[in-house]
Amino acid sequence: MSGRSSGGGSRLVPYLQVAPLALFTIAFVGIPIATLFALSFWQTDGISIYREFTLENYREMFTSGLTYRLFYTTIKFALITLAATTVIGFTCSYFLVFHVRSLKMQIALLLVCTIPFWTSNVIRMISWIPFLGREGLFNRVIISLGLTREPLDFLLYSEFAVVLTYIHLYTLFMIVPIFNSMAKINPNVIEAARDAGASGWQILTTIIIPLSRTGIALGAIFVVTLVMGDFFVARVMSGGQAASVVSAMKNQIDNLFYPQAAAMAILLIVVVALLVSAILRVVDIRSELAK
Amino acid sequence: MAQAQKRGPGFYLLAAFFTLFVIFLYGPMLMIFVLSFQGTTGGLTFPMRGVSVHWFGDLLTSTRYGDLGGGLTRSILLGLLALVLTTVISLFAGLAFRRRFVGAGPLFYLSIISLVVPGILLGLGISQMFQILGLRLSWLTSGLVAHLTWTLPFGLLIMFAVLNRFDTSWEEAARDAGARAWATLRLVTIPILFPGLIAVALFGFTLSYDEMPRTLLTVGGRNTLPIEISNMTMTVTTPALYAIGTLTSALSFAVIAISFIGIAVIQKRRERRAED
Amino acid sequence: MTAKKKSSGISRRKFLKSTAAATGAAAGSGVLGAPMIWAQNIRDLTISWTGPSFSVISDIAEKASEDLGFRITTQVMESVNLMPRIVNQPETLEIVDMEYWALAKVWRSGNYQAIDPRRIDNWDKITPVLKDGKNFDGTDMTRQGILPYKVLYVDSPDATDFASGATDIATSVPLIFNADTLGIRPDLIGRPIESYAELFNPEFKGKVALVNVPGTGILDAANAFEALGEITYADKGNMTRDEIDFTINRLIELKRDGQFRAFWVSFDESVNLMASGEVVIQSMWAPAVTAVKARGIPCVYQGMKEGYRAWGDGTGIMKHLDGLKLDAAYEFMNWQLSGWHGAFIGRQGYYSSIPENAHEFMTDNEWGYWYEGQPATEDILDPYGTVMDQAGASRDGGSFQDRIGNISVWNTVMDEERYMVQRWNEFISA
Repeated sequence: MSGRSSGGGSRLVPYLQVAPLALFTIAFVGIPIATLFALSFWQTDGISIYREFTLENYREMFTSGLTYRLFYTTIKFALITLAATTVIGFTCSYFLVFHVRSLKMQIALLLVCTIPFWTSNVIRMISWIPFLGREGLFNRVIISLGLTREPLDFLLYSEFAVVLTYIHLYTLFMIVPIFNSMAKINPNVIEAARDAGASGWQILTTIIIPLSRTGIALGAIFVVTLVMGDFFVARVMSGGQAASVVSAMKNQIDNLFYPQAAAMAILLIVVVALLVSAILRVVDIRSELAK
Repeated sequence: MAQAQKRGPGFYLLAAFFTLFVIFLYGPMLMIFVLSFQGTTGGLTFPMRGVSVHWFGDLLTSTRYGDLGGGLTRSILLGLLALVLTTVISLFAGLAFRRRFVGAGPLFYLSIISLVVPGILLGLGISQMFQILGLRLSWLTSGLVAHLTWTLPFGLLIMFAVLNRFDTSWEEAARDAGARAWATLRLVTIPILFPGLIAVALFGFTLSYDEMPRTLLTVGGRNTLPIEISNMTMTVTTPALYAIGTLTSALSFAVIAISFIGIAVIQKRRERRAED
Repeated sequence: MTAKKKSSGISRRKFLKSTAAATGAAAGSGVLGAPMIWAQNIRDLTISWTGPSFSVISDIAEKASEDLGFRITTQVMESVNLMPRIVNQPETLEIVDMEYWALAKVWRSGNYQAIDPRRIDNWDKITPVLKDGKNFDGTDMTRQGILPYKVLYVDSPDATDFASGATDIATSVPLIFNADTLGIRPDLIGRPIESYAELFNPEFKGKVALVNVPGTGILDAANAFEALGEITYADKGNMTRDEIDFTINRLIELKRDGQFRAFWVSFDESVNLMASGEVVIQSMWAPAVTAVKARGIPCVYQGMKEGYRAWGDGTGIMKHLDGLKLDAAYEFMNWQLSGWHGAFIGRQGYYSSIPENAHEFMTDNEWGYWYEGQPATEDILDPYGTVMDQAGASRDGGSFQDRIGNISVWNTVMDEERYMVQRWNEFISA
């Protein structure tokens, strides 16, 4: 067999295949973002936008301590969530791929994981309160089990609650890619390693983890972009105590201060692009795909 | 071989971990489900003051709950459209990305950026584009576009994950056997990728069904379900909210179950025909 | 019923006079010809009504459609989501309800159509509080904040600034208003509360919440600081940078001290915080207090001696409306003032801009409870039939006069808004 990648067919084929996505994305994402970029250099009085060039929005943003604090908090959330979801996602995928026998069962279990997401997001946010609140189910259970005497305050309206919710929402986005990568691992390789005397831990670290790295990288991209772009969870679950980058942006947008919000958005895009390219530097997904 | 192996302790440990995780996932949903049967004087939190279907009845008969029916219909329609479009577009785009083509890198980053850009701002941009083009804003046009900017990047990334696992030698074998490109696609590639495509379809539906920030400014004159529900949280503080949650979950469950059963039937029929 | 019929008859008369279609038709005489044609045309009309959830209610639209003959469709959108639509997508809107502080902002976009008060039959009956900016005793109302009066009149239909006094061109038709204050758990506090100052009382550390809307939350805080004697504001509704700095810096101190349990954004959050006892004193909206009480938990919407924080809502129309649609819009606005609407929202605890019209559609018991501050003679029901308060109970704060007569500031948009929002963000993330 030739070592070609998915060869065959004319060179035009990929262009035709990617055309719908490309056209759509350039039109409905590229252009609006270009507009945002332009917007960030304009002025407003809270109603009309004046197309006069100004660096004031950026200056204000960079000289305010608030900006750095917001990004620090949000990046912190993203990294903690990333660590937790990677561990949990990896473990669950490992279980599904290597310990669940039939394919049907694997898919069924994956589906089981997705069903909770068919509840409206908005309502799910509300339902955390009866679960984690001072009088909530969780506290009642641990008090009745005698594990604590006072209800745990920090479960809700805290940074803990925010990260917990992120983990709840985004672990699935880790499981799916990692699952796919792991399923590709040839079981014979593992057999061979075991026969050669490798311990379970060694097999894990030298074979499974490296071979799953594409999945981990993809999942990481999901988690990072989703957490960085969130405002709803951060605001609701922290009881308004923690602000994320986008929730601060929302306050500006609510008052129709678009240029300032746009400047913050551009900064956010740049930061996330940097984070994603860092992930891609560790794992080059594109070249993995071509194999 | 490994078939008759006994399940080691690792299995039970991992199974327990997985189970705990699933319970964690289902926690809120269970809350919603249980509390939607809250008694008539109960509130949004425990304790349960009796058990009743009062709130379901209230939901269906009272008029204080806005246009939930309309919102539901629109959201399901949008979800199905997003499902189909996302799956098709992501499939082909994913296939394209296996090769090198001009602009692959920038396009990839642009898709990622689409995920990061705060929905409210992107929604504003899209609505202004539509206005400049002189097109009317409506949930079916600009709303759909906004939803796709959210679902397509997900679809693309999942296709990457799925294709990563795909062994291209199947395609080469088919080609060597003389199959043309389109036939290869239809008879070899897609069937093998099928579970992955299901994942993309599922994500496409769910993400669109739940989407709100991008929809707010692109929805035109009628609301989608998430917007209606969010309006409800401004005025309603009864367990009827939970009843809404239970019902909409049940409905999306039904929609997806029907779609899958339909697909399974088609699959079975195809298999049977292939055996003939 | 009679009052309403009369008013729509009059407006038809006015319409007939102004349109060429009128050919010698006598006033509402039902003669074949113009009135019938007009009636026929308008029956096929559909017009949309968009606004926040406390005003745009499908029951109301249904009743209006029934009474008026044409169809009114509703779309509920909260003010913050509606504002960008007014500015950027006015063609997707027709009749728009808006809170007055938001109207102050978006009027300048030029997308609203000025309203001719002469076409509003009941204009003169609108309570002087809204129409003239006067208290019940004739004195001028507090000018702190965005008084509806301040943004109700313009000098010309295209003016983007507001007139300094009453003119004969209006921006909107005042519809709903109310006086907000703090909610408390009297059972958990155990003593009478009379002043905003209690919000920052160390006794309640960790049990206080504020609304996380910059424009509103800061007003509650300002009332508290003023009550504590720490500062006197020139205009709480329009703070200077120094005043903003003082307020926010003090708030940050209090936050670091642990005074606040949470900041709520959505209505149900505020209800849960209060009902579960996580919080004993907080910014609150009137319906939230009722919701807590409906669960059998004592909660009082406590009027403070410093006064209430008032807000108002008015109906406006978009510039692109003309012809038959414009007339339908005026018909609808007239209908809104004719009483049925006022009674409906009255049962949710909001005041109608023409209380006497609303009175016609409310029972004596309801009127006594909601407007006169009298104890209820029977259970008070909300518009959907749920019990809101028991017989024998009175409305917190007392009568219409008691509450509206004691307003310290109106919900607002400040000149230094940008700065205020930025500093508020700092406070929240501190």
